Amino acid sequence: MMFAPHKLRRRLVTGLAGLAGLALVGSMATAPVQAATEEADDSKVLRIATDGFIDSFNPFTSFYLMPTNTFKYMYENLVANSAEDTQVSEGLATEWDTDSEGKVWTYKMRPDMKWSDDEPLTSEDVAWTYNQIMKKEEMAVANGALVENFDKVEAPDESTLVITLKEPQANNPGQEIPVVPEHIWSKVDKPGEFKNEEDTVGSGPFQLESYEANKSVTLKANPNFWRGKPNLDKIQYRYYTNSDAQVQAIRSGEVDFITGLTPEQFKAIESAENVETNEGNGRRFQGISINSGLADADNKEFGTGHEALKDKKVRQAIRAGIDIDTLRDQVLQDYGQPATSFVPSVYETWALPKDDPAITGFNVDKAKKLLDDAGWKEGSDGIREKDGEKLQLRFLTDADATVEQNTAKFLKPWMKDIGISLKNEASDVDTVSERTTKGDYDMYFSGWSLGPDPDYQLFINTCDSRPDADGNGGTSQDGYCNKDFDKLYQQQHVELDEGKRADLVHQALAQHYEDTASITLWYPNQLEAFRSDRFTGFTKQPTEGGIIANQVGYWGYTSVEPANAEDASGESGGMGAGGWIGIAAAAIVVIGGGGFLLSRRKKSDDRE
Amino acid sequence: MTTPTHDLPTPEGGPDPGGTGIAGGPGRDMDEPPKGGSFLGYLLRKLGGALTSMILVIVLGFFAFRMLPGDPVLKIAKERPMSPAQIAELRSQYGLDKPVIVQFWDYLVGIFTGDFGESYVYRKPVASLIVEYLGPTLLLTATAAILSIGLGLWLGQLSGWRRNSTFDKIMSSTSLVFWSVPTFWLGLILLMIFGGTLQWLPTGGMITPGLDPWSFAGMVDIVKHLILPVITMVAVVYAQYLMVMRASLIEEMSEDYLTTARAKGLTEDEVRRKHAVPNALLPTVTVVFMHIGGLIAGAVTVEAVFSWPGLGKLTFEAISGPDLPLLQGTFVVFSGIIIVMNLAADIVYRFLDPRVRRA
Repeated sequence: MMFAPHKLRRRLVTGLAGLAGLALVGSMATAPVQAATEEADDSKVLRIATDGFIDSFNPFTSFYLMPTNTFKYMYENLVANSAEDTQVSEGLATEWDTDSEGKVWTYKMRPDMKWSDDEPLTSEDVAWTYNQIMKKEEMAVANGALVENFDKVEAPDESTLVITLKEPQANNPGQEIPVVPEHIWSKVDKPGEFKNEEDTVGSGPFQLESYEANKSVTLKANPNFWRGKPNLDKIQYRYYTNSDAQVQAIRSGEVDFITGLTPEQFKAIESAENVETNEGNGRRFQGISINSGLADADNKEFGTGHEALKDKKVRQAIRAGIDIDTLRDQVLQDYGQPATSFVPSVYETWALPKDDPAITGFNVDKAKKLLDDAGWKEGSDGIREKDGEKLQLRFLTDADATVEQNTAKFLKPWMKDIGISLKNEASDVDTVSERTTKGDYDMYFSGWSLGPDPDYQLFINTCDSRPDADGNGGTSQDGYCNKDFDKLYQQQHVELDEGKRADLVHQALAQHYEDTASITLWYPNQLEAFRSDRFTGFTKQPTEGGIIANQVGYWGYTSVEPANAEDASGESGGMGAGGWIGIAAAAIVVIGGGGFLLSRRKKSDDRE
Repeated sequence: MTTPTHDLPTPEGGPDPGGTGIAGGPGRDMDEPPKGGSFLGYLLRKLGGALTSMILVIVLGFFAFRMLPGDPVLKIAKERPMSPAQIAELRSQYGLDKPVIVQFWDYLVGIFTGDFGESYVYRKPVASLIVEYLGPTLLLTATAAILSIGLGLWLGQLSGWRRNSTFDKIMSSTSLVFWSVPTFWLGLILLMIFGGTLQWLPTGGMITPGLDPWSFAGMVDIVKHLILPVITMVAVVYAQYLMVMRASLIEEMSEDYLTTARAKGLTEDEVRRKHAVPNALLPTVTVVFMHIGGLIAGAVTVEAVFSWPGLGKLTFEAISGPDLPLLQGTFVVFSGIIIVMNLAADIVYRFLDPRVRRA
């Protein structure tokens, strides 16, 4: 042994004290410097909290919400959806035309466009992109459904693109498919497996700079964007697993934008300093899906739905027995729009007008009469019966969703009032999803988000899109099937005159309302918040009362610019975070060192 | 999951998955016949036990998650314009179109060749994902382990020595209160106070994006991010070390050698430090080993609250997928760590405590 035990101990003590002191001084010294440099860089960096899954940034294969939202900034579509009202508007193409049938679509490209790497962008890039999706299975994973009706796509010259469809369609086929540069992607060995995770080349306002799994996604402004370089230098998504942490992060100024708040969180953040909120009309509907007798595409019945629900009158009675206005007020705290059908009111052209004659209201007497007419007579306990069977229904809900649980609480007594015994079967999301696939329910709380064109959502309400009992085959909203509805679907599908098409869509929606395969409750508002001391100029979609995040397009952040620079100063007064860090670091060193010393002492003592 | 030799840690009684009961020591095998001093025999028995556990874990890892409700492909396809052809393509990409027995065989072959399959969500080999996320988890749990062990043992011996004093009562009860507090709740409260309201510490993540983790500023930044999750973990787990140390010391206090030491004229403080504590430390060693495995499993909650980019968060995301290959992979790895730690505890204990050797 070179040192006597007590010497060793003294050395260790001095050493540790020195280390602790160093950590303290070091962090205090560096913290302000670091804050200063960050500030300089940060003033044009919009930091957004996210918890989204990312599999890759390959627009051919990724379909998760977070990457898809990013693609909208990275890769433009042939035609865009306007910020004003989501209508089809100029994108890479400035004008388009279709033959009288709606089968051959011809697009004129914007002249002199460049990719972010300065290479020219032409109609050949568009044709190449579409052809990849049409011809290669591994390239069709994300957007295959969008090209299903494509027969061929050609670029006769650099500024013209022609899409020939198999069947005529009214919905512009140039929407939603991200267009990638051929000169980059054609050189990729296995484009289906390409991760595309850094320094991307695209034509949109922002390009992916870097991605660190579960940490951050950084986008940088594209100087070649044809609408002009954005005011922001960067958009940076930062990962926050839980939404309460996101709320704290915007309060403390660690992020500048959050979305998807609950009403409680939204109310709490409204009073926070330097934070502004946005309550946007969402593009989602929520409602109660009713098992009106599920059958597969060959009309073979499956599932355990209650016999009574096959009768339209019973389903209509359930709707008449629900006071939706009170429900929206009490359960949703009014953070939602009144609903008419499964097409949200943000899509003004397509949504079923409030004054449509098909729409009926809350009316207990009418509900009772409908049930009487259907042959369900009130029993001694107030619950209706028919042929000795009680009218008992199951309502399937997600146990973790407050809105669903509260809805069930209101529904139970309301249904009792009209003579239906309702049993709330709360379960986890996976169980709910499995049971609904198999038709093992009477009613369940459901919801969908919609794109700007109603065609797809109408389609999944046709008889043809019903899946089989294992859930294979089609995707159906409520297992609904009505030949009249299908006919209206087909008519609107090919109607090129928008006014006439809207009328057909309204008729289809009214038919669906009347049949009551589901009861649409409301269109929940998207609740968002941003740091008003740092940024201004967010564009909503639609511009009147719309949303900022999750838009159909790249409007939300592209127009953002730094707020008055002087206000955006960093830490205020008191001991900064640096000081506290130093103290904590010192504490860790001391405690850790203490434990070590303790053990040293024991050993040295043993030697004595 | 019982093995011939001893139980794996169970979630019973603890706030964390993997928080083991405080009582009990090294998994001494009371019901087994004593086997002379053959270290090899002892080692083989322990190894056999660990191996059996591992096989059970591997089999369970496959079937348990397949029993979960929910079809990963349908969940992905939900609310998306997807054609039946696209859905079928996904099913075959994930290998879900094969019979379960074939999938199981592929999984077994995969595990023995170190291939845990490919994650549905990340589309990367599960093994490389686990390696990638292991670092942050080790940093978090190692820091929390060192602090909670140090704090628990130190306070535990003080408490035990002054049994039933006011100090003891306060220490025992506060630690037990923390121990019974839900980790998620405690984490969120700390996050709100120190992150949102006082703004002293960051609200999530491991490092401010853009900073180099190997630079000095980067390291300071990591320490900042580390403080709240570590405090949460330490607060919730140090009680078990405190209680074991306390109980162990109290047991030692009735031993004759302490009287002998006192008779030699040593002060009470010296008796405690030089004689009682070193002996009392013995049984705690195995507890410490066993709990390191549990601590890593316990990181799931803390990582989810503080957005810590580690294995726990990876598992948390895999559950909501459900990303079957990733779930299987993390389950096998977590369980493997616990089994190895138990084995290590048994072996180390045998070296430390001559009584086990003689038994």
